[in-house]
This record gives sequence, structure tokens and C-alpha cells, in this order.
Amino acid sequence: MIDFDLILRILIFPGFTFILLLTLFCEWVERKLEARLQNRVGPMVAGPGGILQPLADFIKLLTKEEIEPRDAKKTVFKFAPLIAFTIMVFAICFLPIDGASVLSTTGFNGDLILILTFSTIASFLLFLSGWASCNPYGTISSARVLTQFLGYDIPLFLLALTPAFIAGSLSIFVIASSQTVPYILLAPWAFVLFIIAMQAELEKDPFDVPDAESELVGGLETEYTGGKLAFLHLTRSVQIVFGAALVVELFLDGPHGPVFFGLPAFWYSLWFVLKLLAVVIVTEYITTLFARLRIDQVLSANWRIILPAAILSLMLTVAMVTWVYPLV
Amino acid sequence: MPNSNIDIISAIESKLKDKVQIHLGQLGTAAINTSNGLHRDVLKAMVEADEKTAISAITGLDLGANLGILYHIRTSNAFITIRAEVPKDNPKIQTITDIIPGAVFHEFEVSDLLGVVFEGNSLSGHFVLSEYWPEGVYPLRKDVKANEVKLNPPPAEVKQPEDKNIVKIIIGPQHPALLEPEKFAVTVEGETVTKVEPRIGYVHRGIEKASESRTYVQDVYLVERICGICNACHAYGFVGAVEKILKTEVPPRAKYLRVITLELNRLHSHLLTLGHAGLEIGYETLFQYFWRDREPIMDLIELTGGNRVYASLMTVGGVRRDLKDSDIPKIKTTLENLRKKLPFYRQLYENEPSIKARMQNVGVLKREDAIKLSVVGPVARGSGYDIDVRKDEPYEAYGEIPFKKIVYTSGDTWARMNVRMDEVEESINIIEYAVDHLPAGPFRVDVPRNVTAGEAVSRNEAPRGELFYYVKSNGTAYPERVKVRTPTFANIPSFLKTAIGENIADVPPNFVSLDPCFSCTDR
Repeated sequence: MIDFDLILRILIFPGFTFILLLTLFCEWVERKLEARLQNRVGPMVAGPGGILQPLADFIKLLTKEEIEPRDAKKTVFKFAPLIAFTIMVFAICFLPIDGASVLSTTGFNGDLILILTFSTIASFLLFLSGWASCNPYGTISSARVLTQFLGYDIPLFLLALTPAFIAGSLSIFVIASSQTVPYILLAPWAFVLFIIAMQAELEKDPFDVPDAESELVGGLETEYTGGKLAFLHLTRSVQIVFGAALVVELFLDGPHGPVFFGLPAFWYSLWFVLKLLAVVIVTEYITTLFARLRIDQVLSANWRIILPAAILSLMLTVAMVTWVYPLV
Repeated sequence: MPNSNIDIISAIESKLKDKVQIHLGQLGTAAINTSNGLHRDVLKAMVEADEKTAISAITGLDLGANLGILYHIRTSNAFITIRAEVPKDNPKIQTITDIIPGAVFHEFEVSDLLGVVFEGNSLSGHFVLSEYWPEGVYPLRKDVKANEVKLNPPPAEVKQPEDKNIVKIIIGPQHPALLEPEKFAVTVEGETVTKVEPRIGYVHRGIEKASESRTYVQDVYLVERICGICNACHAYGFVGAVEKILKTEVPPRAKYLRVITLELNRLHSHLLTLGHAGLEIGYETLFQYFWRDREPIMDLIELTGGNRVYASLMTVGGVRRDLKDSDIPKIKTTLENLRKKLPFYRQLYENEPSIKARMQNVGVLKREDAIKLSVVGPVARGSGYDIDVRKDEPYEAYGEIPFKKIVYTSGDTWARMNVRMDEVEESINIIEYAVDHLPAGPFRVDVPRNVTAGEAVSRNEAPRGELFYYVKSNGTAYPERVKVRTPTFANIPSFLKTAIGENIADVPPNFVSLDPCFSCTDR
């Protein structure tokens, strides 16, 4: 017997189509916001307020000629962007969006670790895609991706453990649904650090050293064209949505919020999207406020500040969970 | 000029009394004729007498049977030209790069364009000309017709030497960090720069040669096209030299109008660079803000000159267009608005942590090196080498207008950008003073079309530093030789020095702090 409900959930809502549309929408919000902060107008032409511009860019790239460099490692070069994209979408499928995740109503215990691993694998695939293109700019950019995500993955994991500790579970569903008080209020220090580490993990300013166009031209995308480039861009955007969604699930009470009438699933999705947008706006604000750091400054910021701070944050959380929260 | 330059002349006289002829008042403070390699001795005497001795330019001349070489040397209070000659059939002369290392590219250019062999200069090959330029054809010699030169065919395939252990990053000719076509082959180990090889000349248009076949009036517009950003400075450089040959006295109103134009040039150029630096360090917001505030200045240029970019205001004998009294309030309000925004930008440059992280201690150029490499403009002033032609040798109305010479001593990218930041404010003050004290009277005098035989140098402080012009006339309506030395040309050696050992990510901010302009450099 075929479960049509599950197929619909995977393909339409809250699965693939929804995630894709959400990604394009977030990209538009980002571009528009950045433009307004910089005294520009941003996308204007495609759709009302240029809302269709990300979709138009995506389709335009799909129609372009595909060129492969002679020296490139063909298989990796071809498939790395696509696989990275797939993995990121798959990771989002584990997040409860309309009250339940795409794949199951409750997820399983430990899926937090699974999706963090997915995100690491996706970063690694991006590294591979640049490395395989055999271009000096791509090579250096890839080396930077690797250096950076090696550094920031550990703090990110440690910081993601904070909500897990408070909830007493490694299941995202449990973490999201046990926040009677959002964890941003219970552990604000972890939230701030998590946003910073996320900013680095997503390679956004001030940590966007891998695609520093002033020295590395296109970074790891330099040799990419057409559909492959479109998927690289899309992967980046999905990563940003994933990061924001993770923040929502871990610190902002997940998709939960007041249900006024009708389907709870509708309200949950609405709250989820609104919270997600709030996080995207905050990260985009940080992006426009800072200049790009140098790779050695990024690394020393990581090993000297973020990592010790993450460990301290975890210790503080353990202490709070053991001695303080039971009193409240 | 006052008598302050006596020391350097007497220092030369005491050492080389009978061997050289000193002509006071020619080509700057004095022209010194030398022969048989004595130019080196004169130079040595000057370096010993004055630690701030640096080279401004080397002009090559075709004198018929001989080739003339003019070394234009600036000291702390004088500008001296050393003449040397070499026979055309054996054009060899000893290099001066061991005395002043900054002369290396100046010599290279003369050897490329005129075929003079500088013995001891390590550079060979083409610098300005195309790789496919035929051997033994030197475009600035009078017997070469530029439109008859046939280039060699390019080789079918270029073989690159392969060494797997080093990565060579090519910055340019097309690169997002460079707005103009120029190539810097940067060799990196890991992320550290170990070597930088420059190659200019991608947009070499032969303007020096072309100006010899155009009249003086046409040449004003031709040299203006050397650079879009500092076009008024180029026009003024040429016009100033021609006026010196003609001994024309420009009316006072024209002097003030020229100062206004030159300072508007500096204002918009500095704002452009301050914003562009933001782009190079990934600070797009800063870039967008600066360029927004630059736009009203462009409107002022249009208001005063009639055109947004090429105002074409300068002409031999004055300016081409008067300033209307009704326009003055608009100028003042626009400048006042810009002045109100400056404190915000200043504290941004001084306090913003990510800007400081990317600019402080990046590309440090020490004062001694700055003098040795003969850098100019904000690059020199950022390193504590206090040269500013507007103060050192005031031209036009600059002697009458009060303003400060901005000097920073730390010598890094941050200092160079802050020099520009402060100069924006000084420029506003200068323009306001000039507008307030604008003398009445004519704004132009008539001059003959045929320029009397003679030669002159003219220097002015372009936004990027000292801009040098040498013009030689032969009594006709066409100049015999026009030599242009742009500020960026003098500043490239400093970049080659400071980039070594730095992170590859520091190359763009370091580079943009020179405010490089390559189309000028190529001419």
C-alpha cells in the first residue's frame, strides 16, 4: 500500500517544494534587506518588489552553457554541488516545520547529531567541488573552506548541545516541543555564540573568507557554469535557511506558538517561517555591518575565543540545569 | 623660489666644481649638464647632502645623433634636473638604481621606449610595450612612425614553466580587485606571498608619442584623457609647463578657479578610494555609503565645468569657463553637507574593529624605504615622508590659501587611508576659502598658438601624488616632446616591496591603498 500522505509531505509540504520556495523567498529577503541597508534598491523587476528575482536567476543559470575545465576531476566536479544540495534539503526534512518533521511525526533520538553531520558533509562537498575544479582560485578557496569549517564545526556542535542538555534529549522534536520557556531566555549566552558560529559556518561576513572576491575572484565557484553553478548557489541559500531553521528549533521554541483557529499545522508553519525570517534578518544585519576578516584572524578568533567560550557555555549550562533551573 | 635651495647647489659645486655646468633656474631649480657618467657623482653628492633626495622621473629625449636622458630629482627644497647624453649608435649609460632604488621602473621605461641601455639595471624585456613589439624599434625615436610599426605574430602556444610546489596567483589583467587591466603575478606558498611580478602596458595608448603630432591646443584634451579621475590635474600639468615656456602670467581669478577644479578632482578621487577600500576588504556597506556621498561632488564638477567627468576646464592662459556667482551657494551647501558626514566616516575608519583588523599593520612602508623608493602622494605622507607639491612648491593660488599638510607616520594601509580621510576635509576647506576669496577680473589671457622654443617641467599634486610633466617645444605649433610621469608609476615599487611576506588576503587592501590608476600609468 502506498502512503500518499507521506509522498505529499515529502514532495509538496513541508517537503521539497516548500523548502525550495522558502529558500528563494529568504534569498529575496536577504538581498532586499542588504540593499536597503546599503542605500540601494535591490531587486525590482521580476515580480512585485523583485520577489521572483532569485527564481529568475536560478532558471537563467539553468539555461546557460555547461563548461568543464580540461583538468577538472569530472565526476566530483559534476556531482558535488547536486549531492550537497540534496543532503542539505534532506537535513531540513528532519526539522519539525508544521509541528512534525517531514519524515516522521517525532523524529528519532539523536537526529540532532545526524543533521549536524549532514551539514558538515555538505560543507565538505563544497570543498570538494572547488578542489576538483583544478583552478588556483578554487583551490585556495577550498583550502579556506576546509580550514574554516574544521575550526567552527566543533564549537557549533558544543553549542548545539546546550539546548539538548536543557531538554535532556538529542531529538530535535523533543528539544523544540519542550521549550515552555524558549531557550534563548534560559541560555542567552549560548544563543549569541551559536549565531556567531553559525555565521562562520555559513561563510557570511565577517567570516566569508572562502569567497573573498577581491583576491579569489569567484572562489570555489570560479570554474562553475550553468546548472552546476545554479545548484552551488542554491546549496548556499539552503544552507542559510538550514542554519536559521536550526536556530529556530534549538532556541526559539521551534514552530510552536499560539493557535487561534483552524489547523494547528497552518499556524505552526506560519510561526516557523516568521521566526526563521527574524533570524535571517539578524544574520544579514551582521553581514552588512562588518568587513571581511583575514583567514588567520578568523582562525585565531575561533581557537582563542569561540571554542573556549563554547566550552564555558556548556559548563555553565550544565551547572544551570543541575542547580538553578530546578529552583525556578 | 627662495634661497633655501642654495645648500644643495653649493654642495654639488663644492664636490664637482669644474666638471659640470650648473644652469640655475632651468627645468626646476637648476639644470646640471653632465657627461661621462658624472651624473652618478652628482646624484651621490645630492643624496649625501640631503636625505630626502628622491627621483621624480627620467625623461628620454631624441636629440638627433644623441639620446638625451634627464634625471629629475627632488630634494627637500629643490627640484633639480641632471642632463646626460649618450650616442644613438651605442646608447649605454650606467644605472642609478644602486643610489636610488626607486629609479628602477623609470629606467626600465626609458629603455623600453627609447632603447637606452642602463648597465646594471636588472630588468629586461618589455614593460610598457606589447610582448610582440618588434626588436630594435623604439617608438619615441623621431624616425619611428607609429602607424607603420608591424607587430610580431603571437606564438601559437605559450608554454608555462611547471613547478608543482608553488602556486602562482595571477591578479589581472581581468580581476575583480582591479578596475583596470594590469597584471601582477603573485607567487604564494600556502597563503603567504613570496614574489610579485608586475606587468603594465595593457592599455598603453602611446599618448606621449601621439601628442608630438598634435597642436598644443589639441594636446590639452589629449593628455586629459590619460586619466578619467584626475583629468584636471593632467590638463593642468601640461598647461602649466606650456605657460612656463611662454612665460605667461595667468590672471588671479583663473588661478583660483583652477584650484577649485583641482580640489574637486581630489575630493571625488579620495571619496572613491575610501569607498573602494571597503570593497576590497569585503565591506560593501562602506563602499555604497562613500559612493553615495561622492555623487554630489560629481554634480559640482558638472556645475563648474559643464561635464560630469571631463570638465576640460584648463586651457593655456587660464580657464575656459567662468564660475557664475549664482552657483556659489550651491557649492557651499553641498560641501557643508559633506562636511557634516565626515565625523561619521572618520570614527568608522578609526574605531571599526574589522576595518582596523584588516588595515592596521598591513603593507607597512618605513620612512627610509619610502624615500629610497621615491614614492609620492598619500603613500609617502602615510609613511611620514612629508612631501606635498602644494606646500613645497606652491603653484597657482595654493600659496595664498591656508591648509594643512597631512602626515601620518605608521606607514600602513590604515595610515594611507587616513591621510586621504583628512585631506577630504582639507579639500573642503580649500574650496570654501577659494570660493569666498575669488578675485574679480578676467579668467583667461590670449596666448600665441606657436610656442617659442624652450623646455619646462611642471609638477602638481594630483590626488594620488606628485604628477610630473616635461614639455619641450621647438617653436612650432607642435610640441617636440611631452613626458608624463603619473603618481601610480612612482608608487608601484612600494607595493612590490610591502606585499612580500604578507598574507594573500592583504594584497588587495594594501594595493588599493596606493589608489592605483593604471590607465594613467600606461599612458
